[in-house]
Parts: sequence; structure tokens; C-alpha cells
Amino acid sequence: MKSLTNILTLSLTILCAVYAYGQGFQVNFQGQKQQGMGCAGTALYTDASTLFFNPGAAAFANKSEINLATTPIFATVHYTDSATQQTFTTQNPVGTPFSAYGLYRFKNKLEPLSAGLAIYTPFGSTVQWEPNWIGRFALTRLSLKAIFIQPTFSYRISERFGIGGGFVLSHGSVNLQKDIPVQDSLGNYGHAELAGKALGFGYNLGVLYQVNHRFSIGATYRSKVSMAVSDGQASFSVPSSLASNFPNGPFSAALPLPSVLTVGMSFEPSDKWKFVLDINHVDWKAYDTLAFDYAQNTSSLSDTKSARNYKSIFAFRGGASYSPNSKLVIRCGGGFGFTPVQSGFVTPETPDANRLYGTFGMSYLFNAHFSLDASFYATKLTRTDKNMESQLNGTFRTIALAPGISLNYKW
Amino acid sequence: MVMKILRYIGCCCICALALIACNPKSEVPNPSKGELDLTTVLYIGDGQMGGYMNDGLTKENQVNSLANILATQLTCLGVQPANVPFLDASSIGISVNGLAPFHLGYKTDCKGVSGLSPVRDASTGDISCLTQNIFQSAHPFDVFGIPGLKLNQFTNTNLSATNAFFQRMSSSSSACVMNELMSRNASFFQLYIGLEDVLDYAKSGGTHATLPSELEFQQYYEQLLFNLTFHGAKGVVATLPDVSQMPYFTTIPWNGLSLDAANSGTLNSIYNPLGFYFQEGSNPFMMVDSSANVFAVRQIHDDELLLLSLPLDSVKCNQMGVLFPIRDEFVLDSEELNFLRNKIDAYNAIIRDLAQQYHLALVNTDQFINKLSDGFVYNGVSMSAKFVSGGAYSLDGIYLNPRGNALFANEFIKAINLKYHSTIPQVNALKYDGIRFP
Repeated sequence: MKSLTNILTLSLTILCAVYAYGQGFQVNFQGQKQQGMGCAGTALYTDASTLFFNPGAAAFANKSEINLATTPIFATVHYTDSATQQTFTTQNPVGTPFSAYGLYRFKNKLEPLSAGLAIYTPFGSTVQWEPNWIGRFALTRLSLKAIFIQPTFSYRISERFGIGGGFVLSHGSVNLQKDIPVQDSLGNYGHAELAGKALGFGYNLGVLYQVNHRFSIGATYRSKVSMAVSDGQASFSVPSSLASNFPNGPFSAALPLPSVLTVGMSFEPSDKWKFVLDINHVDWKAYDTLAFDYAQNTSSLSDTKSARNYKSIFAFRGGASYSPNSKLVIRCGGGFGFTPVQSGFVTPETPDANRLYGTFGMSYLFNAHFSLDASFYATKLTRTDKNMESQLNGTFRTIALAPGISLNYKW
Repeated sequence: MVMKILRYIGCCCICALALIACNPKSEVPNPSKGELDLTTVLYIGDGQMGGYMNDGLTKENQVNSLANILATQLTCLGVQPANVPFLDASSIGISVNGLAPFHLGYKTDCKGVSGLSPVRDASTGDISCLTQNIFQSAHPFDVFGIPGLKLNQFTNTNLSATNAFFQRMSSSSSACVMNELMSRNASFFQLYIGLEDVLDYAKSGGTHATLPSELEFQQYYEQLLFNLTFHGAKGVVATLPDVSQMPYFTTIPWNGLSLDAANSGTLNSIYNPLGFYFQEGSNPFMMVDSSANVFAVRQIHDDELLLLSLPLDSVKCNQMGVLFPIRDEFVLDSEELNFLRNKIDAYNAIIRDLAQQYHLALVNTDQFINKLSDGFVYNGVSMSAKFVSGGAYSLDGIYLNPRGNALFANEFIKAINLKYHSTIPQVNALKYDGIRFP
């Protein structure tokens, strides 16, 4: 009768992702020139990073190119609990997304064809909350890493029309930790760690049409990538009397990365000025539920299905570049995105909000082969919410700064 | 040209800085005391106010008491920490019956099965921890959370002789609680009283006919408020919970009698003539009821409660609840429960009226305990009224544990803020212990 059944259902409801630096997961840190212009550039050939932004535009490359870039992310989230008025802060390590692109332009008979390989990291960040923070039983740390490898072909059908497509292979790892509200005889709390590797597939298609030599329009569709964790390992540290309630063992889970449809345009009123505008539609509705399936269930550890109820959103990005001479380009831009996270569903791993951000950047061309790009991204967002599941009720304030740099070589 | 570029870059920098300029920490309101005068704050009540939990008082329990949690939260308004009649930190503490407090440990039952259970810290409590009087006139106490204190005992000048918890903190052996309180001339008081009156009846299974009449309750309560507010003190009072929702009364199931085919057959042959039937699986226990039949036994009903004081080894190994019906002192039957709940409702009506009459803040303890019984999630942690696993009640099944006290303290803070327009921040209840497991 005093048996301790039901000792706390461990609702491992998380994993939702470190979607902190783009609307949702859309980390548009895949090209320094685009980052300088508000992360837009679907209707523009910039450099080999176009393989990501629009495989169709990559058909307009007139040289072969290699592009290597990194964008360290400095992000801090402050959470102020509404009831206690206490503020807690993340201690995130610096995120280091990188990208590497190689684009080969065929010659002679195959001239309209380009082939490329794009490697990029749409995740690469870690959310680490301060010790003993008030939401420790919802999340203490989430590290989500994924590397996308995208072999791509682009074909220029006519002088003005290019198409392209790439297959996406994604390999990632997730490590999610939180404290468990059971205490040992010294008062220490239990801890859960879920770690696993994920594999997913998708594709990236794009077209570009040059209406005239000043004006282009483009469109891309990046497919949904379902990241499936099949061999995850759940480890629990709990008081010995409860160890049988929390068996270490395998789990499986899946995380959908939604499809993104983008239309963009570019306008070059003179040789010195370029303006770009992108509109994204992100099908976040795909992220409806987060489910965890444990190989071994107990009264304390049951499979969980956690509503996420994301909604599909639009985001708008735009920017300009100005080239005062043949060596230098400077850029400025910004964007606005609606949040896919609805009221009642804001979590410590996704303290997302409608987002306004600004960017600027520059390029310097050392010679006909070698050039360097730099960019800077800054955003600040605030979201007040009461999570329906955890009842965490407070305000998240996020600041993210991301300076980036890339090297280009073309021949 | 260069100037133009620099100007352009500068413009972008300003844009970026403007986006991030606001310090995100600066938007928290400052705590304020509103209309409160916090010169002298008193905390008045029984063991629930003073830190009685796990059926015992220890210094650690006092630190985690409702009174001390509330007092600690007031220090963010510049109020000095409360003077608490702390026990010695090295003492294992003592229960109202002289026993040692509980911890969660392993216990082997009569069948040789070992399981988690509340276990006493020692064979007896530390009786010596209460013998020395620690009153100092220069440093009078702020916390009068006296285990066992009943509403009708405030003016009792003999209380020292019967209540060692009061004796050790009283200014003289003939002092009464009321005079001790009056001498402090409080500017603000936090009062939660009446629980022991109700518990005395409930914990005896309805055998102690000691519940005060409504009139007595009203008179004692009003006398207390009249004296406390005589010099204009403000205060907060709290209603009483439906104590029958506490784990002490809800943990042992009415139909916990588990029978195999042979045993149910035997019982049927014995009890069928009286109209009681048994089946394989779970069955109602047999209890004493003098009005049931000539044998004064019947099956317990699904709305009746078995108390945690029930000797479980007798149930498991010695046919208690089967051939030997469970005695009245271990059961709250429907009639007793109705009587008890009606009394509590009546007392609460009196408390609500008096709170209004004396312009005091009111904590709806009954609603808080109902919410706990329904279960709720607090910052990712599930809280409920379940024994041990619910995380809010201590191991005695009646008094709240530190986390339960912190959550209850937040009800006081909300009531005070509402009434006196103060902005005292709530307590982070997760900083306080729930149940510790071996």
C-alpha cells in the first residue's frame, strides 16, 4: 500500500531544438554576402554559397569557386520568472556554424552545367542554463548539431534561365539534459541525459530567371528533413531506491526540420548598387508533436507525446550592397520573421519570438582569384509566456550577435 | 569617397547597437511593501506555521517552516530576519508524542518484504531539546508556531505545563500565548490557526469529540484578532483545508483487501449470512460499526477513509480488516466525514467574515489544498497530495514539507500583495526540499 508507484512521471518533453538564431531552425548563416544583406539572396548569384541559397542561381556562375566560412554565435538568454522576479541566464558556449562550398563550372560542350558540393551546419549551438535555474526540471542543457551534405547540379537552360537541384544528406547528434525532481538523502537532484545520433534526407531545388540585366527573380524549395534518432541512449542518475523506475536504455525520437519555400528578387539599378528581397514560407506545421519512445517503460518513465503545435510562418529579408570601387563591397540589411511558436508553447530551448534583426557586411577583393567577406548579425528578442506543460511563466530575453568571415578562391 | 563609406559603416553600426542596447536585466520591478508597516512582524499558529513536519520538530524543519520562509522573503524589503525559537542544530528533534521524526527508509514488514516507508530517525525523540527555556527579554521571539496549539489555548496560563514547545519559549511558566503576543505590539501578523482543533477529531477517527462549536470558534478567533489589531496592526489570516484530503487519510485504499479464490471462498462462507460478499481480487475491508448489525461489523464504503495510523502489519498478517474488523479509531466513516467537513466549512465562513470585518488579507487554504489534491505542475515539477510521491506533504501525511511550505507561503504572499498593494516577490519553491529518497 505504501509502494511508491507513480513516483513522478518524467515527462521528457524536450528536444525541440536550438532554434535560436533564425526563425525556428532556419539558421541562414550559410553565406557571408547574403548575411551582409539581411540573409537574403535567392535571386542572386553571389559565390559558391549560392549552392545553398538557390541551386538554380548557381547555374549562373562563370568561374569555379571554393568558399569557406564560419560565423561564431554569441547568444545569451535571460529568463525572468514572473512570480519570484528572479532572473536566470544561459551560459552558452560560442556556437560555431561553418560552411564549405565547392562549385565546378564545366567547360566547352558541357558549359551550361555546374556541379557543386555544399556542406553546412544549420545547427551547431548549445543552450546551457545556469546551475539550479528555476526551469532545471524542464531543461538544463541542449546541444544539437547537424551537418548537411548537399551534392548539387545546376543547369543553365538559356541565357536567362537556370535550374538546379541537390540531394541533402544530414547527419546530426543531440544531447539533452535536465534535472529530475527526485532528491537523494543529501538533497541532490536526479539528472537525465538523452543522447543520440540522427540521420535525415532531403533535397534543395531552385530556379532563377533574369528578367533583364538589372532584374532577376528566383525561387527555391528546401524540403522537409526528418531527423530520426533511432539509437539514442537515455541515462539517468537517481537515488538508488528509485533506480529501477528510471532504467538506462535506448530511446527513439524524431525531429522534423520543416520545408522552406522562398521567392526572391534582385535589382541592380547601377553597376555599384544591388538590392535583394526574399520572402520565406516555412512549413513549421510539420512540428506538431515531439514524441519519445523508450525501449523500457516503467511507472515513472513512460513514452511521451508533447504538443508543440508550431504554425507555419512567413519571414521577410532584404538588403543592399554598394561597391564604391572594384576592390570593395559594403552591405547592409535586415529582416523580420514571425515566430512559429504559439502562446503557451514557449520552452527554454526555444524562447522564440517575432524577430527583427539587422546585419551589415563587406567584401574585399585582393585579386581576380582571392577575396574575403565579413558580416555581422545582431538581434534581440523578448517573449513573455506561460508554458502550458511546464507552467514556466516568465519572460525570455535573447541577445544574439554573430560576426562571420569567409574566404573565396575562384579560377 | 572614403568618408562616405565610413559614414555608411558607422550608420550600420549604430543600427546594430540600437538593436541590442537595452540591458535585458533592467525590466524587473522592485519589491515594495505597499501599505504594510513591517516594523514588527509576528508569525502565529501551530506546528504548520512553526516547521513541524515528518512528525517532528528539528532546527532544519524550523528553517524550512512556513513562518521562516515568509520571514526570509520579507528580508528583500529590508526587514530583519525573524527571531525563531530554534532547537539546537545537533538535536534529532522530537514529535508531539516524544518520538523521533521520520525519514524515508527501508522497512521490512511482517511478511519479510522490504520496502520504502517512513522510518523513525531513532527509537525515541530528543526530549532534552525542549527542557531548557530559551526566552530572552532583549530578543523576544517573532515566530509563535507552537506544535499542537489550539484556538482555545491562547489565554491558557497553564499551557507551559502541557506544551513543552511553548514552555521553552515562554517568558514565564504562567505566561499565556495571548499575553506574549500582546507584549510584542506587532505592526503586522501572519496567522494560521485552527488546524489542530480539526485534526484532533480527524486523526482520532472521530472518536475525540473535541471540535469547538461554531460559537466558540467565532469567539476565540475574534478575541485573538481583536487583541492583535488593537493598536492598528495589519495582518493576514488563513482558512482551514478539508483535512480529509491529506495523505494521512487518503493513502490506504478502502478496497485494499486483496483475496485469492480460496480466501474469498472462506470469507463468503463466514460473511454471506450477514449480507457481505467477497470476490477474487480487491475487496473492501471489514470495519466496526455498532449500528450495522448484531455483530457490529460491515464492509467499508468507497467514500470512507482509512487512517495512516492503521497498523499495517496487523492487516497483512493478523487478519485485521478481515476477521477482526478495523476499529473506529482508524476510520472516518461517511457520517464523521460529513460532520467534519460541515464544521470546517462553518469555521471558514467565520474566518472569512472576520477577515473582512478586521480588514485583513485572507489566504484560501482550502482552495490551495484542493488544487494540490487535483495536482498541478510548478515550473516543470508535478505536485500533488499523494503520499511521498506528491512532493508537497511531509512523511507524516499531514504537515507540508519544505517545498509544500514554500508553495503555501506563496499563497500568503499573493493574499498580502492583493490586500495591501505590496509587491513582495514569491518564493522559488524549487529551492526547498521535497522528499529525500535513500
